[in-house]
Amino acid sequence: MTVAWENASLLARSLQSGPLTLHAVPPAPCTQACPAGINVKAYVSLIAEGRFSEALEVVRERCPLPGICGRICHHPCETACLRGDLDEPIAIRALKRFIADVELDIADPPAAILPERPESVAVVGAGPAGITAAYDLARAGYPVTVFESEPEPGGMLRYGIADYRLPTDVLDHEIEVIRRAGVQFRTDCRIGREMTLTELLEGGYSAVLLTVGAQFGRGLRLTDEECPEIQDALSFLRRVNRGEREPLGGRVVVIGGGSTAVEAARTALRLFARSVEIVYRRHWKEMPASAEEVEMARQEGVNVRYLRSPVRAEIENGRLRGLTCLDVALGEPDASGRRRPIPIPGTESLIEADLVLLAVGQEADLSFLPDDTRERLERRDRLSAEPATLMTKLHGVFAAGDVVTGPATVIDAIAAGHRAAQSIVRFLTTGDSDPDQQARAPEPPTEYGLPDTPAEHAERMAPPIERPVAGREFTETELAFSPELALTEAQRCLRCGPCSECRICASSCGRRHIWLRLPGEGTDEPVLQLIRAPSSTALALESEVAAGHLLDGEGFRSIELIPARVRMVEELCRGCARCVEVCGFDAILFVHPGDPESKVQVDPALCRGCNLCLAACPTDAVLPDLPTTSPAELLPRGDREAATPKEGPTVLVACRQRAAELGPRLEQLGGEAVPLWLRCAGEVDAGTLLDLYERGAQRIVLAGCATDHCRYGRGTRLAAVQAARAQTILRLLGADHERIVTDWPPTEEQPVTLAAGTGGAA
Amino acid sequence: MTLAELRRTSAANLCVECGKCSTLCPLAAVADYSASRVAAIRDPEAELLRQAGAVQRCLTCALCEIRCPQGVRFSDFVRGLRPDIPAELRHPCPHGEALQAAARLMARGDEIDRDLSWLDDGLRVADEGELALFVGCLPLFDVIFEEELGLRSLDIARAAIRLLNRLDIEPVLVHDERCCGHDLLWSGDREGFEALAAANAQAFQTKGVQRILTTCAECCRTWRLDYPGVTDGYRPQVQHLAEFVAEKLDAGELEATGESDGTVTYHDPCRLGRQLEIFEAPRRLLRETADERFVEMEHSGADALCCGSPGFVRCDAASRALQVERLGGAAAAGADRMLTACPKCLIHFTCTQSEDRRLGRQMPPVEVEDLTVFAADRLTPRIQGEAQ
Ligand SMILES: Cc1cc2nc3c(=O)[nH]c(=O)nc-3n(C[C@H](O)[C@H](O)[C@H](O)COP(=O)(O)OP(=O)(O)OC[C@H]3O[C@@H](n4cnc5c(N)ncnc54)[C@H](O)[C@@H]3O)c2cc1C
Ligand code: SF4
Ligand code: SF4
Ligand code: SF4
Ligand code: SF4
Ligand code: SF4
Repeated sequence: MTVAWENASLLARSLQSGPLTLHAVPPAPCTQACPAGINVKAYVSLIAEGRFSEALEVVRERCPLPGICGRICHHPCETACLRGDLDEPIAIRALKRFIADVELDIADPPAAILPERPESVAVVGAGPAGITAAYDLARAGYPVTVFESEPEPGGMLRYGIADYRLPTDVLDHEIEVIRRAGVQFRTDCRIGREMTLTELLEGGYSAVLLTVGAQFGRGLRLTDEECPEIQDALSFLRRVNRGEREPLGGRVVVIGGGSTAVEAARTALRLFARSVEIVYRRHWKEMPASAEEVEMARQEGVNVRYLRSPVRAEIENGRLRGLTCLDVALGEPDASGRRRPIPIPGTESLIEADLVLLAVGQEADLSFLPDDTRERLERRDRLSAEPATLMTKLHGVFAAGDVVTGPATVIDAIAAGHRAAQSIVRFLTTGDSDPDQQARAPEPPTEYGLPDTPAEHAERMAPPIERPVAGREFTETELAFSPELALTEAQRCLRCGPCSECRICASSCGRRHIWLRLPGEGTDEPVLQLIRAPSSTALALESEVAAGHLLDGEGFRSIELIPARVRMVEELCRGCARCVEVCGFDAILFVHPGDPESKVQVDPALCRGCNLCLAACPTDAVLPDLPTTSPAELLPRGDREAATPKEGPTVLVACRQRAAELGPRLEQLGGEAVPLWLRCAGEVDAGTLLDLYERGAQRIVLAGCATDHCRYGRGTRLAAVQAARAQTILRLLGADHERIVTDWPPTEEQPVTLAAGTGGAA
Repeated sequence: MTLAELRRTSAANLCVECGKCSTLCPLAAVADYSASRVAAIRDPEAELLRQAGAVQRCLTCALCEIRCPQGVRFSDFVRGLRPDIPAELRHPCPHGEALQAAARLMARGDEIDRDLSWLDDGLRVADEGELALFVGCLPLFDVIFEEELGLRSLDIARAAIRLLNRLDIEPVLVHDERCCGHDLLWSGDREGFEALAAANAQAFQTKGVQRILTTCAECCRTWRLDYPGVTDGYRPQVQHLAEFVAEKLDAGELEATGESDGTVTYHDPCRLGRQLEIFEAPRRLLRETADERFVEMEHSGADALCCGSPGFVRCDAASRALQVERLGGAAAAGADRMLTACPKCLIHFTCTQSEDRRLGRQMPPVEVEDLTVFAADRLTPRIQGEAQ
């Protein structure tokens, strides 16, 4: 993509037709390493700038569970972090947790996104894989329902991982954000029991995603006798996480080396076990649980015995006494790449135990599959899915997460959720599920070197740790960074590459002239684009480009065409600038406000077509690009002589953003409700509302987005003013002003009004 | 009415295409507009359609009529053409047509029961009686213009009642009063107008009203010139408050209180001036209150310029230019204050004046005020002294 300099002179012109790429950068090592593709460099840079909520926005683009990943992710980004070559990697995970907690404390979760696509998708299993896919699909406009057999969504995050690592309120908050994005959860609904897969497929879902995880703990035959003191660690954790926190008292031995084993051990400790030991048959280096977790467990007093393999449970008088184990030697690497453990005969020793928890593997519970399909879909206790598309052998049925890979990690489940959602969207839009067409060779990661002028050594900050204390065993162990620590730590980041991709440029340009597109947003590499700009900016930029300030040798291209939106009728414009005041995008040029002769002009490159200026203009000098339906077309007047009907239909005057949500609810408004869709509710004026009233509308429901969530800024506020005007005029005349009802989505101050059938503008 | 009939009744059929109307037309001075071409419309199809824009643009200020050698009633002709303009060529009225929509609503025959909570303490009104005040659309104006321009049109009604109370008159306020219909009539909705006229006549007649006072030039014109013929059985005397006050001054029942402040001039609303030929009454009132300090503008009386937006039928760049010109005329005459007897003129001028504050434009240093409000502050009954 090397483009000659003469293209710079095309700048001004290309801006008229589309965005402009200012430069392109390959992703930083941390970003490349994140399976879910979170733009690590960007959010770390934002934290370094103290822009915490913007940082969180960056995370949320690729990860709907920031507070969870910030606590329990095994952070491959830190392993890849270039700063690790210098001193120590950036504490990326803890930084992510910090910003997630900031939101938990103060902010109101982001706005609802409303479905606009006709096809609905069912997701089975509300673990991280299912949640991520559902979130992506909702953001892409699909109505999504997640079916979950447990009473609450979250999967292993809720019923596997205990509160001292992942408090329930963090999970609840993140689920709430996802709910607000429009994802529906149907809990206590097990597919295979309350409903069947066939019912889903035949019940109107255009695609089904199976993310049922790996729910069964594998067994280990240690005795032929019935022994209640040998339990499956997963079931044990599930009980504890449901609130059964009976003190244990005795000696607990956990068998296994994964997260589940460590989790069970630390949990047992918190339930007052006299002692807790983990018995693992390989070397510590080979433990699937993260070194950090194991270290924490040891510090808390868990004893880990490596290279031991239990062979037999010793039972005396029906009571467990302990486990007989053999020492282990490591042989050649096996299929997993780890060295095979070989028990050494004659090395028996007894480990005393009152309770044994088995955490030696998990398998999927596939009993919900209809018998005739089970054989086709199942492969070694897992679901088999086409690697490129994640589609199973059943058309339109996809699978992702632990159920496909076997027990893995949260971030892998999230990554799989993204891929599944992407594949489902492609399937629903193009019908394409041919893996060949979709398989893309992974691009070779770009090598980054340490900067030429090496950064000074700076110590890695560690979040504070709180030891479990009596009475507060299950409160969080690791605490969040203080803002000062977070800033210090984030400032250690080297910001590998030319641009931090923080998008500050884009967001600080309130008029959104600049946009940073990242891979997956129509480009393969991040590009900074100037997408809209008034001519003056374009000219200024041209000289910047010519001076070599803006493009780092990369070229630019234009991608999107931005159509002209509203038009001004010059003869009608009285130059009052009311439209200028209302336009949130600088689209209305008003060159000489002091000159009484001056009129306004619309810059087509900047206008977003929100139509707010339509209602603002007193003279009706603004014309929309697409004419909206007029009250006269909607409720044509019969013969004036014949009394106008006063019991005409209910009219829903609503922002298109809410079409998908409100469309189906039209019925609720009464038999023959008719909709009048607008670009933005702020486009309506009092005259239109009164006109509808006069034409016989028995009820007029004006529905816009929540006040702070109008995508055009002030639409809802402006609509509220107009509604209030219409209502006041009716009231002054003794007419029924309650026929005009406003309906903004619920916010804390303002509850839903449509369902209740009451309401009114402020 | 056919076009031929309309041409006859408005005397447009007598037009000799001399072009005098165009030379006088204020619109022609500020925009590309030809009055004489409109006067020449003979063909209800092609010609009317081609001229639809021009027919709607005419201010109907009737300035052209003062010099027409043939006596063509141009504004009547234009008004008569408007109902035939097809809906798709019709330009919506300013302010989102909120006022027109409200008027159509009142024309629909619903029961109207006006909110009178705006009546301040101490204002006395009656429910029935001989003399009524027609409040018109003042309360509705406040819904829009109080917020946008800080203008309280209802103060005009309050001032009128205060003045009447001082004369020991408790005017009737008819709770089911409707819009007079002026704006509908002039924007081409004759049916709507007739419904309003009939309903108003009935409401006022029921209350035993024989005499109606208005504070609005347009209401006054409408009741006086347009209701007869529609509301045959009921013929009350209709006066602008200025006329009523002038009578009281003549009869020695009112006198001015103290000194007047600043120099004032008077803007003749087209409906009150040229169309009703009420030139003298407001001047009588001003001579009494402002004395020496009442000055005339260059264009005044029959020659007065229009406010640029009669009846809220249309507002545009030309309206604004006329407003600026008119304000400039007042300043040139040396006035600090320009009074008008029409609340709509007041709104239009105030809107343009507000650019001063909002956009930092240099506007003529003239305040615009309503004549009724001005008079109420400066007149007092002669015999009893202070009544209140
Ligand atoms: C104890 C423990 C500790 C862990 N610690 C870490 C850690 O520190 N870091 C890390 O990265 N990973 C950790 N993991 C792994 C991580 O939790 C999983 O990899 C991840 O949750 C898998 O996500 P998933 O969406 O595929 O499945 P799950 O999270 O298992 O979710 C599957 C969901 O499907 C539901 N379901 C199953 N069958 C049906 C059905 N028929 N109908 C309806 N619903 C159904 C289940 O109830 C469940 O809610 C841990 C796992 C465990 C068990
Ligand atoms: S130094 Fe910063 S940008 Fe570079 S890999 Fe580490 S976190 Fe990412
Ligand atoms: S609001 Fe209307 S009249 Fe005023 S400047 Fe804008 S386009 Fe012109
Ligand atoms: S439509 Fe919206 S963006 Fe376009 S000019 Fe009007 S207010 Fe500005
Ligand atoms: S002044 Fe009268 S006669 Fe002359 S063109 Fe105008 S309307 Fe016709
Ligand atoms: S608004 Fe006033 S000046 Fe303008 S036409 Fe009406 S009465 Fe005349």
